[in-house]
Amino acid sequence: MSIATPRDKTNRLSSTRVGGKMTADYWDNIFTAKERGKHVVWYNGSALNPIFQAAGLEWCHGEAFAARLAAQHLEEPAQAAGSEYGYIGELCSYARTHLGCAVLTQKNVNERESGVVGMLDQQELAAKLPAPDFFVNGYAGCSTGQQWDAMTYRVFDRKLPIFNVSIPMLWGNKPDAGYMRGEEWNEASTYVEGQLRELVKFLEQQTGRPFDWDALSESMSYIKKASRLRLDAMELCTLAPTPATYWDWVASIAPINFLPGNQALVDYFAGVKAEIQQRIVDGVSAVANERYRVYFDGIMNWNKLGFLTRKFAEYDVAVVAGRYTHESFWQEPQLIDVDNPLRGMGQHYLLCPLNHGLKNLQELLLKRLDQYSIDGIAFHSTRTCRAMTNPQSMLAKAAERERGVKSFVFEGDVADASFYNDELFDSRLEAMLEAIDVQRMKTMV
Amino acid sequence: MSELHAPSLATLRTAADDPVSYAQNWKDTHRRPVIGSFPMNFPSEIVHAAGALPVIVQESKTPITEGRSMLAEFYCGYTRSVADQAALGELDVFDGFVAADHCVQLLGAVDAIRYVRPEKPVHFAQFTSAMDDAWTKPRVDSRIGDLKTEIETVVGTAVTAEDLARSIGLFNANRRLLRRFYDLRRSGLIRITAGEMQLLVKSSMVMDIEEHTSVLETLLDRLVLRDQAPDDLVRLHLSGHFCHAPKPEILDVIEESGGLVVDDDLYTGYRYISTDVPESDDPLKALSTWYMQRNINAPCPTRVTSKVDWDTYLLNSLAESRSVGVVVLMAKFCEPHMLYYPELRKALEEHDVPSLLIETEHEGIPVETLRTKMETFIERIRRHSAPVPA
Repeated sequence: MSIATPRDKTNRLSSTRVGGKMTADYWDNIFTAKERGKHVVWYNGSALNPIFQAAGLEWCHGEAFAARLAAQHLEEPAQAAGSEYGYIGELCSYARTHLGCAVLTQKNVNERESGVVGMLDQQELAAKLPAPDFFVNGYAGCSTGQQWDAMTYRVFDRKLPIFNVSIPMLWGNKPDAGYMRGEEWNEASTYVEGQLRELVKFLEQQTGRPFDWDALSESMSYIKKASRLRLDAMELCTLAPTPATYWDWVASIAPINFLPGNQALVDYFAGVKAEIQQRIVDGVSAVANERYRVYFDGIMNWNKLGFLTRKFAEYDVAVVAGRYTHESFWQEPQLIDVDNPLRGMGQHYLLCPLNHGLKNLQELLLKRLDQYSIDGIAFHSTRTCRAMTNPQSMLAKAAERERGVKSFVFEGDVADASFYNDELFDSRLEAMLEAIDVQRMKTMV
Repeated sequence: MSELHAPSLATLRTAADDPVSYAQNWKDTHRRPVIGSFPMNFPSEIVHAAGALPVIVQESKTPITEGRSMLAEFYCGYTRSVADQAALGELDVFDGFVAADHCVQLLGAVDAIRYVRPEKPVHFAQFTSAMDDAWTKPRVDSRIGDLKTEIETVVGTAVTAEDLARSIGLFNANRRLLRRFYDLRRSGLIRITAGEMQLLVKSSMVMDIEEHTSVLETLLDRLVLRDQAPDDLVRLHLSGHFCHAPKPEILDVIEESGGLVVDDDLYTGYRYISTDVPESDDPLKALSTWYMQRNINAPCPTRVTSKVDWDTYLLNSLAESRSVGVVVLMAKFCEPHMLYYPELRKALEEHDVPSLLIETEHEGIPVETLRTKMETFIERIRRHSAPVPA
């Protein structure tokens, strides 16, 4: 007897494949940076890349590389190297993957001053990062993020320069505090903007060149356009059934988060928007037989992306929006003044979805629940990411209390597949969908 | 048998074991507010100067119940306990809460307090944790200024420079006394167990500082010093364990296995009392100087700096105390410690210093398993003829 393979009910955007190619090209380019005589900065946290771009640097985002390894199921060599070095398995799996890469990179640098590390073992992507010339950290809302680079600095024998941008949390001490408003917001914006000016001076010292302010303005003009197109396209997904899902926005994170600000970036998001518009015209939906609209809270399990995309669709669930995709990545383009971009950039760094107290997060969640007509929330209890997990139980209670929106929690991790349990996922998702059905029946009565 | 004055020790134990009852009694007696704060860098002097009782909220011994629905199981024991205590109403004695550290787990716990007790003032004075930058101290000055204003509002008393200078003097005197106990323990002329040392420091975090100093003075007066240090025990350094105090039974097993703890860098230990506040003209700015200086005196893995290193500091401490082994106490899920631990291990191995990692949990650890590990560790050191790092 043969077992029938379940029909794949997903209908992913085809335009995001372009982003995948752009991202792959970006990393291939990074791997040869030293051969081309480029200065390389390793950084973590906020999207400081437009500043690096204007400074003529090659930039390597630690989290992004860890996520990429996990998405390609290539994280294990780096994690094994990290574990051997002494990092315990309950530590942020982004950090432990990237620190594992640092250990491998440093090992290879010591073995061979080749520029590109991993020459001896090219199939191990984890060891291909070019060694850094210096570090920059600008991590919002997660203390681990800042300490992670402090340790990377030590793995590289405390010899390389490091610059820290201290991004204060938007905690909400004052009664007037809220999302992008109040004295706290203005004061923190000024504080971070000042540090970015200092970062520019630091980069001038490192590169020995004057900073190209025009190049920064130009790159931010592209990012601003790309951001508007992305938000327009997201807005189109408030329609039911949705023409694109959260998973399409996940596929678009790399381009908006760290690819160069240029015309290609604008073209990419124009392409995504155009495809979604065409789907609406043609009546094409992203999930066959959409019956439930779900919001995703938590960073995704990068090594389960395709799996979870199909899994939700199997249950007729369209995951239409999420905290990580919709509250991050140049999501307030009106803040960017292309002629004087540093303040708007600093403000975006403050708006990282890890960087808010519960009050702001509740405000943002309720807004998205209304905007996307959400039926339920999937809370990814991200095992080694306390920053994303912090407020989840309280957000779940607020969603139920304020909007009657049901939710479920499932365990997993950003870059460590071992924390995911499929049986628990199924039973909890089914329980939530059943609760939604009961609620709908009651409404009909 | 303790070599410390038993009645004085009992006074400290009563407060350290049940800080909430101590705070309630103090409040009933003094008719003044009580302010709760959190590890590891809060300047209690401001609260004291406002006439309130500053109390660093401690981990409770009781199992986590209501708090399980506030924070996930993969948070450290301290933060889960704080959330649990708040959810159960056990922190209601406090008139307000203040925090200065930005540990992501701690902020989750403090946000949980805001959620379950929305009527309580909760202020976050985020001290910049990158210590090497020109803007760090001015920024911390500013946070301390805001903190003072918030405390004045909650307590209803304006803090003058004279009030603050007096409080600074009182806390410095207390720290000096505690450091005196550390000196005596290192010398070997008095046996102060690790559990007792924890008691001395922990009680200082929760008691009226003048009362605490008075008890310490009595303890010092009653000390009977030995002629020479015992030479049959293995001298150990306890390292790590931030935010909350390790369970006393763990400390007891370490010493029952043949170890003599002569020094530590625990938060509920030397880290807490390492640094005095400068008694200068501007007491508010002196508090931010204290913040910067204590990271130099006892480098902290929750701070970011390239000027000092915890591993270097640890090796120097070992040389000064003539410790021949290190017991690393790591609270499970403590990310700063998990991040830094490989650097410590590397440094200790390079200097041929034996070390043992013990991971602790709020729910406790099997003591007999620990005893076996410790006895093996002590035996390993005895065979090792461990050199002290140069």
